[in-house]
Amino acid sequence: MPRDLTPSTLENTFVLKALTERVRLDNRSFNQLRDLDVSFSSTEYGLVDVKLGRTRVIARISAEITQPYPDRPYDGLFLISTEISPMAAPTFEAGRKSEDELVISRIIEKSIRRSGALDTEALCIISGEKCWAVRADVHFLDHDGGLLDAACIAVSAGLLHFRRPDITIEGVGSRREVIVHPITERVPVPLAVLHVPVCVTFSFFDVRKASSAVAGVPSKDEMKAENDDDDIEEEGDSSIAVLVDATLQEELLRHGYMSVTANTNREICQIQKGGEMPVEVGTLLSCSEAAIIVAEKVTKLINKRLKEDETRRNVGNLLVESRAENDR
Amino acid sequence: MTSRIEIYSPEGLRLDGRRWNEVRHFRCAINTHPVSSDGSSIIEQGNTKVICNVIGPAEPTLRSRSGDRLGISVKIIVAPFSTIERRKRPQSDSRIQEMCSSIQHVFEDAVIAHLFPRSQIDVNLYIVAQDGGVLQACINATTLALIDAGVPMYDYVCACTAGMLDREVLLDMNRIEESDMAFLTMATIGATRKVSLLQLEMKVQFDRLEPMMAAAMSGCHHVRDLMDNEVRKHGKSRRQMGSL
Repeated sequence: MPRDLTPSTLENTFVLKALTERVRLDNRSFNQLRDLDVSFSSTEYGLVDVKLGRTRVIARISAEITQPYPDRPYDGLFLISTEISPMAAPTFEAGRKSEDELVISRIIEKSIRRSGALDTEALCIISGEKCWAVRADVHFLDHDGGLLDAACIAVSAGLLHFRRPDITIEGVGSRREVIVHPITERVPVPLAVLHVPVCVTFSFFDVRKASSAVAGVPSKDEMKAENDDDDIEEEGDSSIAVLVDATLQEELLRHGYMSVTANTNREICQIQKGGEMPVEVGTLLSCSEAAIIVAEKVTKLINKRLKEDETRRNVGNLLVESRAENDR
Repeated sequence: MTSRIEIYSPEGLRLDGRRWNEVRHFRCAINTHPVSSDGSSIIEQGNTKVICNVIGPAEPTLRSRSGDRLGISVKIIVAPFSTIERRKRPQSDSRIQEMCSSIQHVFEDAVIAHLFPRSQIDVNLYIVAQDGGVLQACINATTLALIDAGVPMYDYVCACTAGMLDREVLLDMNRIEESDMAFLTMATIGATRKVSLLQLEMKVQFDRLEPMMAAAMSGCHHVRDLMDNEVRKHGKSRRQMGSL
């Protein structure tokens, strides 16, 4: 049975001491995200590969026609599956839900489904009888911290990229037929995505513990580091280090965390601050504000990649010509 | 979607006649199950009723969980009659599991854990009636039960909910209000500004977040005073009865 990865006391002490000197082991600033790369498949719609540093996540969006729930005849279905297999890291067991998995699946549910990123009413075909069931499958390929953030970006990007087949309804009344047009016949239709949620995880470290762990007391000069303008914790407690986008090692050593999902409309879709390590309210508010800035950056990157993907697919300008939209 | 129920009237009254900054009727009792558990409490916040039983610190049931700190194991049982429609909820329901894990993390940090190495506390929560604010009631009930069990804690952990209806902040919402607006659940450490748990589930504009958090924080501080009164009252009565 794979055991939990517990970092050694030496690692713990080293990372904490480095944080008191405002140094992260990979030399990022406290607010800096790792290198994010979003790449869309050139052959299939709705397949997106997200690399956040060394963390790698793939999301696959698919749609099929099914019956809607009886109590919601005007809504389509939207399912997100975030099962972590041992491929991501040996500590995950196939079939058994670890606590990390539970947290990730709940937060993705809240960020994307409950916040209404996908308009489910637009998925209705014939109310009460037929609707689209959109399914987002997230596959975690490599775990280096930030699985939640990468998964959220992957699903959001996938929803924007995916195209479902166009349909026409023929006949009237009970003899209505739904004809699904293959891609070769009709240009597939994008999903109605209302907003692009991006999840950002903040890790909290109690740097006061560093001084007790290291032999000798750190000098006053070490504690007073140079101030960057956009550092979060200057407004709140200076005894807490707040890191954005933790690597696996930072994740295992952190004392607390908070996941904030934001979008470019300056809306906060969800906040989940776990029970570990109480934090000042002001710090939490600054984190939420920082999450909005990150969401804007990430959304810009996703849109840029989407445009590149479209030009790649748009060989000979056929896509543009076959569209029925008028130029404005 | 227009609803026939007016959540917040123009005169500033809510469905149950409260103002925006009034918490629901708070009743609590500790040491309610002296025989079956080491610490127990019953909390009623409005119509939400939660019973909490605490057993421990005791030997851990799973050897792997014993460490140099106290472990807390939380189990929540939701009665099928707790909601308007009778529904049996399986233990593996992800919402319930999430609540269990949140409460576990909150109290593992709030309890003076290094005093009890290789030990475990079992917290059993029974949700008897649900009318909004279930997570906050569970946290408050657990605090009281742990105090009754004599587990050393740094401070009370008090929880409260606050919601935002358009531009109005409402404190301590019931079920109807919760389903209609974005709300957050906050748990603070006593009367300080330190937040142990913060959970927001529906979209809210960022600028509206600060008033919501401020309201929730003052709600938490108020709940702390209410719990403190009850604990002291209980302590006095125990002393008078001569059982201390």
